[in-house]
Amino acid sequence: MNDFLEIMKQLLEGYLTKFTDIFVNMENFPAPLEVASELYTLVVRWVFPILAAAIFLRCILPLLQNGKEKAVWGYLCMTDGTRTPLKNWENLIGRSKFSDIVINLPFVSRSHAVLTFHNGVWSIADLGSKGGVKVNGRKIEKQEIVDYGDTLSLSGVEMALAPADAEPPKGLLQKNDTVSTPPSGRHIRTGATLFLILIFLILGSIQICFSMGTQVNPAVPLTLLIFILAMCLHYIFMRWFSRKYFELELLCYFLCGLNLLIVASAAPNSLYKQLAAILTGIVVYTVIKMIIGNLGRAHKLKYFLMASALVLMILNLALGETYFGAKRWINLGFITFQPMEFVKIAFVLAGAATLDRLLTTRNMTAFIAFSGACIGTLVLIRDFGTAVVIFGTFIVIAFMQSGDLRTIALVTAGAVFGSTAVVSFMPYIASRFAAWGNVWDLANTSGYQQTRTMIAAASGGLLGVGGGNGYFKYIPAADTDLVFGMLSEEWGLLVALTVVLTIVFIAVYAVFLTKNSRSSFYAIAACGAASIFLIQTALNVLGSVDILPLTGITIPFVSNGGSSMIASWGLLALIKSADGRIRPE
Amino acid sequence: MKLLSTRTALVLIYSLLLVLGLVAFTVKYFNNASAWVQYPTNRHLYANGKLHSSGTIYDCSGSILMQMVDGTTEFNKDKTVRTAVMHATGDVNSNVATGAQAVFRDRLTGWDIINGAYRFNNKLSSRSDLTLTLDADLCATAYKELDGRRGTVGVYNYKTGEILCMVSTPSFDPENPPDVEANPEKYEGVYINRLFSSAYTPGSVFKLATAAAAIDHLNNVENNLYHCDGKLQIGGDMVTCPSAHGEVTIEQALANSCNTAFAQITLDLGADRLQKYADLAGFNSRLEVDGIKTAIGKVNVADVEGADLAWAGIGQYTNTANPLNFMAYMGAIANDGVRITPRILADQGIFSFITTSVEKKRVLSAETAEKLGKMMRNNTISTYGEGNFRGLELCAKTGTAEVGGGKQPHAWFAGYLDREDFPLAFVVIIENGGSGSRAAAPVAAKVLQAAVR
Ligand SMILES: [Zn+2]
Repeated sequence: MNDFLEIMKQLLEGYLTKFTDIFVNMENFPAPLEVASELYTLVVRWVFPILAAAIFLRCILPLLQNGKEKAVWGYLCMTDGTRTPLKNWENLIGRSKFSDIVINLPFVSRSHAVLTFHNGVWSIADLGSKGGVKVNGRKIEKQEIVDYGDTLSLSGVEMALAPADAEPPKGLLQKNDTVSTPPSGRHIRTGATLFLILIFLILGSIQICFSMGTQVNPAVPLTLLIFILAMCLHYIFMRWFSRKYFELELLCYFLCGLNLLIVASAAPNSLYKQLAAILTGIVVYTVIKMIIGNLGRAHKLKYFLMASALVLMILNLALGETYFGAKRWINLGFITFQPMEFVKIAFVLAGAATLDRLLTTRNMTAFIAFSGACIGTLVLIRDFGTAVVIFGTFIVIAFMQSGDLRTIALVTAGAVFGSTAVVSFMPYIASRFAAWGNVWDLANTSGYQQTRTMIAAASGGLLGVGGGNGYFKYIPAADTDLVFGMLSEEWGLLVALTVVLTIVFIAVYAVFLTKNSRSSFYAIAACGAASIFLIQTALNVLGSVDILPLTGITIPFVSNGGSSMIASWGLLALIKSADGRIRPE
Repeated sequence: MKLLSTRTALVLIYSLLLVLGLVAFTVKYFNNASAWVQYPTNRHLYANGKLHSSGTIYDCSGSILMQMVDGTTEFNKDKTVRTAVMHATGDVNSNVATGAQAVFRDRLTGWDIINGAYRFNNKLSSRSDLTLTLDADLCATAYKELDGRRGTVGVYNYKTGEILCMVSTPSFDPENPPDVEANPEKYEGVYINRLFSSAYTPGSVFKLATAAAAIDHLNNVENNLYHCDGKLQIGGDMVTCPSAHGEVTIEQALANSCNTAFAQITLDLGADRLQKYADLAGFNSRLEVDGIKTAIGKVNVADVEGADLAWAGIGQYTNTANPLNFMAYMGAIANDGVRITPRILADQGIFSFITTSVEKKRVLSAETAEKLGKMMRNNTISTYGEGNFRGLELCAKTGTAEVGGGKQPHAWFAGYLDREDFPLAFVVIIENGGSGSRAAAPVAAKVLQAAVR
């Protein structure tokens, strides 16, 4: 309570004194432009955190509400007359409570069979059950196509497959049938949320222009304008052609908008490049989402991307150029990019698999080999931050594939042991660890970046000094690896924390989606992409403020960098494809 | 999908870890941001390692104690004043750790947690100015009265907590800092504010803590008679008294500062009670003056007995006292047993009526405080001479703290004015100054007469 009063007191006092100061200082103003600029910052720095909080809340609330019940792909009719809807493309049938269709009879195996619906065709696969699976009375070997009306028999338990659109026979008991529940709570209009993002960006770009005084770089208003147009067009496109929720995209627009404001302040000359990256990212996002919507094509994309990734890694090892101690760039003359950013997408897809494959083959060799290749390449090019990201995501995917906690724990222990050994042999990373925890004693050597980030964050306070008014932007990597410092200094700690919470929310939402996702392929891809977002953000934010050791890594969507931006949109497509929910009209 | 959704826990764990990390950072931020922002490379506050602007520090009547003009720090025009308040303001190089310039630097530079280093129109708002409770002229008087001797003078209002006078010597003129290292003898501990940061052997002033315990715990103590023949044999050791006082009551014993009588009282009380009353009087704990922590005065008699305990009861043995803490105990006796924590910032802001809460603690019962006060008043009347303190309604106690090593004892004089219009408590200490009544009491008399003028 006292703290609250203290804050209220400071607010009121600050305003009263500032109000009086305006009159006291009026005659000291050198130019009307500066008057306008100062007054503008005085007001808008309060508006930004409020807008950010409003955008964040307006986007997360609808996603947390239960949308319309998702589509039903068919029914299983039991002999007792009940009909069980099949809500996924992959349905595990068995005695275990983790099955989608639980048959609690002692002679049914725990995981008995998987009933799969791919490309309009149903099939059933026996998971090596004791009692076996019969289709129309004939025992199946591995997998068999099932038509509507066919009788399935699992250890003698009989059921029939019925199409989704079949009218339920009159007088029969209905169980768990589709009920479209109206969305609970108040309806939050996405148009208004988009409008708030728009206001934030317009106010933000005016702030940046003011901070440039008389030498306004025309790239600032121009890129922001094009971005806003593109955002609105994409929004209208989604409204017309998609029945999915699109709060996720709105959050990413917001992050991209902040990215442009950061770049406008720190490196206005790369604005066009960054805008091009965002637009490419949105295209990549749309294309991947379209391809992946069909599982057959998704598998082709997976193998294509894995092959391309191997080529990219070899190219990186051969042609890579070194900046800041890591050999992570390829220069093709007309464009430079970071291949490992794109490898991330291939890596996540490499781990994704459908449920029948997961449960029948139980073979992770290809994925483990691919992960090994990625991590090996990253260690060779000395990009240890990304290596940690890939490894952390490997753990997530491997656990989702196998469910085997013990092996995962062993692998983790081995990796920790191995990396400790690596760290002790590599003076470059060892010095990073040496600075960790006592950066203030090494403030001008190995703790330089962390201390400057904290100084910048402290200078910004909760509200920031105003976009473009900071000094932190002159520190190397301020807009990439240390972007959290720049966010806090210029836009305030409240906005910076909102940004991090947005990414946390995107990840939690991906987990929330797996419950309802059609195929385990999407579930694994979404969780893989989510953990890449999370680990990158954690290493960047917590590393730059000395909670973790500093590793050079970007915040998805927010940091300056074309490859990172496009890859972030690509990963977002993987999360989005797990979203089977339909937005209420 | 149920099977897979049970296996997504790792992503949730990662999310949780990130949120925990963020909370850890936010806590660190709220605790340390005011220090981070002061780092000399921060271009929001510094240019070439020098502050480019700072708020002004005023005394209670609005005289400028310290200000920054065009990047240079300036102090009060009067040399005696700026030397007297040097420990309160701090020097140019921030050598005085408890100086306002160092302690309240975040506020002086216009920083606060909400606005950060943001400045409207690049100017410091008037909110970054500080007004101290000090009276600059009173400080100058105290500095002159100390007359080159090492020591400290503190005066504060025991009803509001405002510190009016705070002087620590040796000091120097902050506009012309001397070469301290070249003259270590003269400038011994010159960067220490002795009122806040020192701890001296208390000597006889400690009898005020012992007497409080005696009033509460010894039956009919006011009427008891103690025999003094100049010394008291305890086991194989001896407690000595400056003279043989004969049969004395506790009131006379306090006025004459009779060691023998107080040795007997201490032994009657026992170690536990003495310890308890020492703790109540503020020993073994620190006070916080607007966030400035004082040094701790120590009394530890838990396992002490015999002559050592007796010596502890008369303020010797291993006892030490922090001057400000002891002054606050004087204030507590004056204020019916309730101690008001001293404070140094006068302006808590225009909304101070909401947030400024005077920190209070009852350390003695009102009855005990009154009895003790009467005895202290009697000290002045019967021993120190009312004529030396005309009109002050002075209640006080002298102390002559033996420090051994062949050095002169520390001279103490502590007490308060029993006046509604000037509710002031004070402490005067002169290091190796000799007798409390001869060295410290005259300084107190001059300063207090100036304070009530
Ligand atoms: Zn005696």
